[in-house]
Order: sequence, then C-alpha cells, then structure tokens
Amino acid sequence: MKLNLSKWLGACAAMLLAVNTVAADTIKVGILHSLSGTMAISETSLRDMLLFAFDEINKAGGIKVGDKSYMIEPVIVDGASNWPLFAEKAKQLLEEDKVAVVFGCWTSVSRKSVLPVFEKDNGMLFYPVQYEGEELSKNIFYTAEAVNQQATPAVDYLLAQGKKKFYLIGTDYVYPQTTNLILYKYLLLHGIKLEDIGGGLRKDDSGKVISAGKYTPFGHTDYQQIVAEIKQFAAGGDACVVNTINGDSNVPFFKEVAAAGLTPADCPVVSFSLAEDELRALPTKDLVGELGCWTYFMSIKSRDNRAFLKRWDEWLKTEDHPGVVKEKRMVDSPMVLSYDGAYLWKEAVEKAGTFDVDKVRETLESGDISFEGPGGKNTMQKNHHTTKNVYIGDTLANGQFKILKTFNAVYGEPFLLKDLDEKLSAMK
Amino acid sequence: MNIPPTLLVWLLTGGIFFLGCFSARADATPDAAIREKLVQAILSEGQVQQKLLNELAESGAKIVHDVLTAWTREGVYLYDGPDGSKVPVLLDDQLDGEGKARAICIIDGQFVKDAGGKELRFASADLNNAETDMRLRSSIQQSMDTLALAAPNPEERNSAVLKLGNSQKPRYIPILQARLAKETNAAVRRSMDEAIALLQLADPDPKVEIAAVQHLAELKSIGSVANIKSLMNKPGCPEDVVKACQRATHVIEQHISFVNFISTIFHGLSLGSILLVVALGLAITFGLMGIINMAHGEMIAVGAYTCYVVQNIFGSGFGFYITLPISFGGKMLSFGMHIPGINATGWWYESYFLFAIPLSFLMAALAGLTIERTVIRFLYRRPLESLLATWGISLVMQQLFRMVFGANNVQVNSPSWLLGHFSVNDVTFDYNRVFVIVFAILIVIGTWLLLTKTPLGLLIRAVMQNRAMAASLGVRTARVNMLTFSFGSGLAGLAGAFLSQIGNVGPSLGQTYIVDSFMTVVLGGVGSIVGTVCSAFGIGTADEVLQQTTGSPVTGKIVVLVGIILFLQWKPGGLFASRSRSLD
Repeated sequence: MKLNLSKWLGACAAMLLAVNTVAADTIKVGILHSLSGTMAISETSLRDMLLFAFDEINKAGGIKVGDKSYMIEPVIVDGASNWPLFAEKAKQLLEEDKVAVVFGCWTSVSRKSVLPVFEKDNGMLFYPVQYEGEELSKNIFYTAEAVNQQATPAVDYLLAQGKKKFYLIGTDYVYPQTTNLILYKYLLLHGIKLEDIGGGLRKDDSGKVISAGKYTPFGHTDYQQIVAEIKQFAAGGDACVVNTINGDSNVPFFKEVAAAGLTPADCPVVSFSLAEDELRALPTKDLVGELGCWTYFMSIKSRDNRAFLKRWDEWLKTEDHPGVVKEKRMVDSPMVLSYDGAYLWKEAVEKAGTFDVDKVRETLESGDISFEGPGGKNTMQKNHHTTKNVYIGDTLANGQFKILKTFNAVYGEPFLLKDLDEKLSAMK
Repeated sequence: MNIPPTLLVWLLTGGIFFLGCFSARADATPDAAIREKLVQAILSEGQVQQKLLNELAESGAKIVHDVLTAWTREGVYLYDGPDGSKVPVLLDDQLDGEGKARAICIIDGQFVKDAGGKELRFASADLNNAETDMRLRSSIQQSMDTLALAAPNPEERNSAVLKLGNSQKPRYIPILQARLAKETNAAVRRSMDEAIALLQLADPDPKVEIAAVQHLAELKSIGSVANIKSLMNKPGCPEDVVKACQRATHVIEQHISFVNFISTIFHGLSLGSILLVVALGLAITFGLMGIINMAHGEMIAVGAYTCYVVQNIFGSGFGFYITLPISFGGKMLSFGMHIPGINATGWWYESYFLFAIPLSFLMAALAGLTIERTVIRFLYRRPLESLLATWGISLVMQQLFRMVFGANNVQVNSPSWLLGHFSVNDVTFDYNRVFVIVFAILIVIGTWLLLTKTPLGLLIRAVMQNRAMAASLGVRTARVNMLTFSFGSGLAGLAGAFLSQIGNVGPSLGQTYIVDSFMTVVLGGVGSIVGTVCSAFGIGTADEVLQQTTGSPVTGKIVVLVGIILFLQWKPGGLFASRSRSLD
C-alpha cells in the first residue's frame, strides 16, 4: 500500500514549472479520460497505458511522415466523470490544442456526449471499451469489443457446453439493456425456448419486447431475492447466468451467489464487465471458476504478450509522469485496446504520409492497417471496428483468467439487432 | 491451471516417499496405483484407454478429477524423458518472468528435473499436448460424471447426481441405482431417488412414466417441473400420463409458492436485521442524544476497515505509507506503519472474524470518543451546527480512508464458516444471513440490558431526558455524553464488521447506508429503540415482499419510500413517538 507520493508531487511541481518546451517536430495527441470522479478508478489506467504507448513510440523514433519524424506530445484533459464536461473538453482539444487524434472515453454516455463535437470539428476519436454497438460515426474508430466479440461468443461457448437456460442480469443503463436485448434475440434464434431465458421481459404497448433480463440500479446491494430466483431457475440443470452488472454491485452479487451454493460447475456466471483490473477489488475467492470473455487476457501465453508485459513493467519502474500508480498494476482488455489503437493510428498516419484526418480515415478504412498487439492481430475494418481474437477464460483465485477457448479473428459487427430481427421473423 | 495447488500438497505429503521423477519408486500406495493408471490412460488408445478411464472413474480420487479436467482443457503435456519415453506432465500455476513454469510429473507429483537435479522450466508452447478429440473428451467427461458420484464430499456427489438426472439419458439409471445401494448420506440418497425418477420420464413405457411423475410429485421436486411439462406437451402423449403430469405440476407449483413465501419472509428478516444493525448506533447518537450525526456512516466504515486490517494481520501483514504535501526544511512530512502478519492458516485464519468483531466495536467507539471530545461536546445546544460539523467530519474521514487504504474497494474474504447455506424443505438459509439475524437480536438485547438494567443506563436515560436536571442532581453529564456517543459509534462499528461480509468495503461505504439509517430511525420514532427495531424489520419485510410481487428491485424500493413519506405525514413522530424534553 506504499504510495510514491513524494515523487508524484515532485513531478507535479516540475510539470507546473515546465515552460512549453515544444521541439520543432512534435504532434499533439489528446487523451480524454476521467481522472477524477467515480470512473477515475478505471479510466486512469487507460491514461497510463496510452502514455506508455506514446513513450514507446517516441523512443523508437516517433512517427515517420514523409522524411520527417514527429514526437508525440500528449495533451491530457480530465473528463471528471461528468458527461457534459467531456464534450467541452473534446472541444478544447480539437479547437484550441488542435490535436491530430484523441484517445478516450469509457462509458457509452461520455462517447455519445462527445460524438457531435467530433463530427462538427471533423476530429478523430479512438474508443477502447467494450460497448453495445448500434452506432457508427465517421469520426470514431472503435477498437472496443463489439457485442459479437464478447457477448455472443460467450453465449456460443455456453451453448456448446450444453447450457439450455440463460438468466440475464445487469445494471440498469444502456450497455446492459442493449446487450441483453441482442442476447435475448440471439438465444431465441439458437433454439432456446422463451421460458428458458430468465430475468423477465418488458414489452411496449404493441407487444414488442423492449427489454429482457433483470436490472438493478448502480450501487445496488441486496441480491437475496434475485439469487433465490436464479437458484430456482437453475434447479432444472443446464443453466447459466449472463452478468452485465457494472461496478461494485458485483461484490454483494457474487457473495450472495457463493453463499447460496450456486457453483460454477452447476450454474456458471459469465461476466462482461469484470476484467483483471476490476478483480483486484473483488473477493476473488468467491469468483473462482466463473467465466469472463474479452479480447485480451493478461494470461495469454504468447511471446508478444510476455514481451509487452515486460516492457510495461520496466516502463512503470522508470517513467516519471505525474499520478501514475506503480504498485500492483494489472493490464486488461480496455488498456490493451487503447494501446492497439495508438499503434493502428501510427500505422495509418505513416502509410497516409500525413496527419490530415480525412486522409488518415481513408487509410484506416482501407482494411490494410493492422497491428500485432499483445492479444493477437488487430485489423481495422471498413466499418471502423477491428477484427481480433476473442478469448473465454475461467477466473482463478489470483485474479487472473485461465483461457478455455479462443475464437480467432472475429469480425467486429456493430449492428446486430436489425439482422437478428429479420432472421427471427424469417424463422416464424 | 487449477490443479497445481493441490498437486503441491501431494508433493509435500506424498512426494517425500519418492526419490525423483525418473528414479524407481520406493513405495506403492493406492495413490501411486491410481497415478500409474492415469499415466497409462493418457498414453494408451482406443479400447484400452476406455477401459482404464472406466476404472479410474470408480476410484473417486481427487487427483483423477484434477488430471482429467486438465486433460479436457489441453492442459496435460508430454515431456520427452531422457530414455526416449513420453512422460505426461502438468504445468505449475506459478509463471516466472518469462512466462515459464515448472512441470509436474503425473506419475509421482514431482517436478521435472534435469540430470543435475535442477528443476526445469517450460512455456506451454515448448511442450506437446496430450491430444484429445471429441470422442475422447466425451468419454473423459463421462468418467468424470461417474467419478463425481464417488467424490468424498457429499455436496459434490449431490451436484453430480442432479447433473446426471437432468441429462435425460436413461443409460445413467443403472449407474445411479448401483450407487444408491452404496450411498449413506440421506440428502444424496434423496437426490439419487429424484434423479432416477427424472431419468425414467424418458422411458418409453407410459406406466413407468406415470410412476416416475407421481414419485416426483411426492418428492416435490422443483427441478423437474420443466421436464414434466415438456413430457406433457409431447405430441402423442397418452392421456393418463398427461393427467398425472398435470396433478404433479400442480402439487409442485404449490410447493414452489410456499417456498417463495417462506424465503421472502426470511429475506425480509435478514434485510431488516441489516437495517437494524446499521441504524441502532444512530438510534443512540441521533435518537437519544439528538445529534444529527452525519458521520455515522463513517463509523460503520471504521468497523469494516478494522475487519480488513485484522484479516491482513492474520495473513501477511498490513502496512501503509502516507506523504503529506507539507515540507519541513526541504523534507516531505511523511509517516507510515507496518504491522507484521502472523501468517495464520486453516481454522486459525478463519477465526480472524471473531477477533475483528470486538475490535471493530472498540475502534469505532474510540473514533466516536475522539469526535465527541474534540467537536461535538461544544455543540449539544446547537443541533444545526452539529449537522454541519459532523458532515465535515465525515468528509475528512472519507479522505483519510482514501489516503490509508486507497480509493479502490478492498477485499474482505468471508471466513468459510460464514459461507454456504443449509436447506430445509427447499428453503435456503444462508449462514451469513442467519448470522446477521442472530447478531442483530444479540446486540439489541445487549443495548436494552445496558440501558435499562445498569447504573450507566440509568444515568444515560436521565441525562438524555433532561440534561440540566441530571447535572443539578450531581450526574457528570459530560462524561455520560461522552460514553453514550462512543457506545453509539461502537454499535456502528459492529455494523461495519458485519457489512464487510456481505458487501463492499471502500471509502464511500458509509454514504451507502446513511440514508437507510436515518430513514429507519425516523420512521421508528426518534428516541425509541423499540421503534427502530420495529421499523427496521417492517421496512425489510415490506421491501422484500414488494420485490417478490413486483419482480423488480427498484419498484419495491420506490413503493416503500413513498409509503414511509405518507406514513410520516400522518404520524410525524414515527411509529413510537416519544416525548423527550430534549427533543422539544
């Protein structure tokens, strides 16, 4: 628990004193994350990872455009977990700092908040966190997992394991609601009976299903009734739980699950919002054997990943950026997707030979831009999403995942609902 | 890989009998025979392999389960021994810096060593997998199913039985019947009975089906409803079978609603107990003393963090280091401390919570004492200022938690004797929930005894009713105030100790419960302990019943809150309005 605060403060002071010592060939790049407020716990890690990526790129000679090399100069702004403020900060980055590209946002609502700003000023944003899809802006590149790179592969895996009953539970906001609605349709399409999808349905006046699954508010603590319901649901066997609960409500939920004797062997829980970074603050003893699904796990045993983790550890030891916590650091999927984004952008800029947003976008959309990241190869697609590997893992007591299944090179598809609706009506 | 920790134990216990991976084994325990058979099974093929797997399934040994699990997950590797033979190994969990791990020989649980006795390390990519195909994986799975029937732990046996029952594969019937003859545990026998009946539902003979359905109805098997319904809806199902099914589903569904009713009451009691434990301290500091104590939540957090610290002291130790942004002659003011851990294990470690409970009370009482002496004693006549001051204290304390423990939540692991549950007639009672109910009852009795049966309690009541009169009769009111406030804070600390077992422990823990605490105390009637008890159980039960009936956790809460507001409009004094002069 030893915090290196003296160094932190020293660095803080140094930064205040430093006059803009901008060398001739630098390029400004924006980092837009919440460094304070409720989301800071997750988002600061992404800032750190981006700083690491930029330092690494600069050390290797910067970005080569034509015959000149540009050093990346990060411009860090704090969205402060305040969604309207995100839009203001984005405007500042694009209009005052005139950054070439922005890496940022975590919550979908912050992304929705900055979207009009990026479209108006023709900026470029790289978004790294698993999201619900159903969106495509010409100014945003989504290195994030689309629903078909996390939720549906996880369900495929569970179906292959012979699971026949699915209980959907999540926190009440856009990501879980959309994901569960997609999963509900996906499950029906895969022959799961309506009564075997647990958590309840909500229909509008015309009888169309608008929400599937059970929802609790942020910070909910009492999961007794819900777990009792899951237990009855699972009594017939071959059941599983799809969990999109976000944040620290997962602790009372999993403690209740463990106490009620729902074991992963009988009724596994697959979670989409718990990665290595979140597991640090959860009682992992209660989670052993539960499933996770991401496009990166720290436990991937590839040479690239090992080298990457080693470089990251070394960087943590030597870097002097203010506010970077050095102890007990984990790496997880959103962090790695931020890192991949930085390199995809670099690749595209070098290929286009310019920092011009329109030219770089064209190059990224060509489908030729790819990067061998720690989680495997990432290729930017025409639809602004990336093709990447998807991994299903088993939680271990040390807060890591043991990889059970790998889906190679999954194409990122943001629009699933319309397609599923069509297929479902064709089935009827 | 989830095998090696157990394998390490094997290594420590059984491994001493062996000289090394490639040396001759000195002893042939039954374990060694099983390991030998495992190795043969991995290296053989076809019919022989199938036969070996079946034999292994009969053993019920944990090692078989671990190795077979690893095998299906491509976690068994073949190491080329020095004499050219293939040696099946598992890789250790602990990776070194290069991502390599030691390899463990399945034959004896020893690490693979080179000729010089040095432990060799491998990356998983360096070794070849013991290959599996679909057919082999399914026969391994089958052996594992039957293996689990012979597991030493009845819970595991039970879950294995239910799994077979739900598989709808009648070929398991003879296996289960054979096991039923050997099984001694009553609960497992019942499950086997149920599983056999479930499997018989798939029997082609309607008579067997009817008997099975009737038997399931007698057993009130909740898990079988779906199967019975699908049998009933099968096209061409004979009428008498349909009738039997209808009767059975009716019986079982009645049983389900009965189970739901009882569990809802139980959940209500346990939620009520949590509210009660959380609010009881406030019932003293706010209810009796009249201080609008906004720092009550942080007293709860003090208790919860105490639990965390005690847990760490029983483990590997606890330390923190803070540097303050103040400099003295160029040196930053900083301080830190480290409490070495006692590295307890087993039941000794599990008992940390028993030590944490009284310590939580003491630490929170101490914190309360400090606050009373430094701030609150100046504000007894100024309730509004006490609100602001205690709110300020709460912010300061939250920041302190952040500095010492970090902004993230911390992990508090429940001792294993609080995990788990018991079932009576399909109603599940979690140990930790039962514990909180008993715990709440005990502290209410304790508080009641203290207030009514001790000299201190008499003084407390006297001072709270009329401070000036008590003082004029020679009561040292300042001292009584101090003790009462720290007692109230201590109760909050106890609540924290308990909450650490069911929820998050973080700097904002107190904020989560402060509203609930005030709500409970105000509804019960400020100044009345009985009122707090009644309102806590009332709110808890109402909340759970509404959750059950509306099916949504949010709607239930909203209805309860609206109900409370309306009730307070009607009876502003709460359930048990007390007439204390200090409140006039």
